[in-house]
Amino acid sequence: MQAPTRDASIEAAMNAIANPRRRQILRLVWDAERSAGEIAATIDDVSWPAVSQNLRLLKDSGLITERRHGTHRYYRADRRALGPLEAVLRQMWTRDLGLLRDLAEQEARSRKKRHD
Amino acid sequence: MIEDLTGVIEITQRIEASPEIVFAYLTDSQRFVRWMGVGAELDARPGGRYRIDVDGVHIASGAYEIIDPPRRLVMSWGWEGHPTVPPGSTTVEITLTSDRGATVLKLRHIGLPGEGERRTHAEGWVQYMSQLAAAGGRD
Repeated sequence: MQAPTRDASIEAAMNAIANPRRRQILRLVWDAERSAGEIAATIDDVSWPAVSQNLRLLKDSGLITERRHGTHRYYRADRRALGPLEAVLRQMWTRDLGLLRDLAEQEARSRKKRHD
Repeated sequence: MIEDLTGVIEITQRIEASPEIVFAYLTDSQRFVRWMGVGAELDARPGGRYRIDVDGVHIASGAYEIIDPPRRLVMSWGWEGHPTVPPGSTTVEITLTSDRGATVLKLRHIGLPGEGERRTHAEGWVQYMSQLAAAGGRD
């Protein structure tokens, strides 16, 4: 039997993309590596610390990778992390089948009770 | 982050109930919607179609290919509007095995897109995943 598990990495990725600012950053670095400066210049309506914090969160969630060159930092989307479809589906089935189990067992118990 | 790249999901669940009861939860709309989705229309007979409102945003739909109560159910599976997993693109097979008064349920979800196919363009991916994230807070 497989116990219901929550995939921490999927959870982190979901949290990361729940924010419109971070989705904007993700789109920017989807196909091309961009420097922190470029990203900050594109997202010019928020402060650099805010952009920096969002970059860190995206990096920690595994959705983007960071490369350092001298004093510069470059970011791009991590292709391996962009397809968590299977993990999402696995999580969905595991959670839902756990619910099915609880409901079916409840029904089996109440049927048995009626027979006793 | 992704461990399983083979395109197959397998889940086994032991349930302390008869296969007949478990099968009813797979095919009866009223029972079904209590464990999956927020709405479901199931026409559970060979060739019949189903439509599941998974979370108020995403619709899963497909057709029943094999219905063998209370042992086996095979259906096509996909999300309406999904860039890589549209209806008809994947298959879900559920088998029930009786075991000392209980049921061992095995679910296999096969035909999921491979590494190359799921590199959908940024907009589709970001939009889809953010909808999933928004809908995911229900448990």
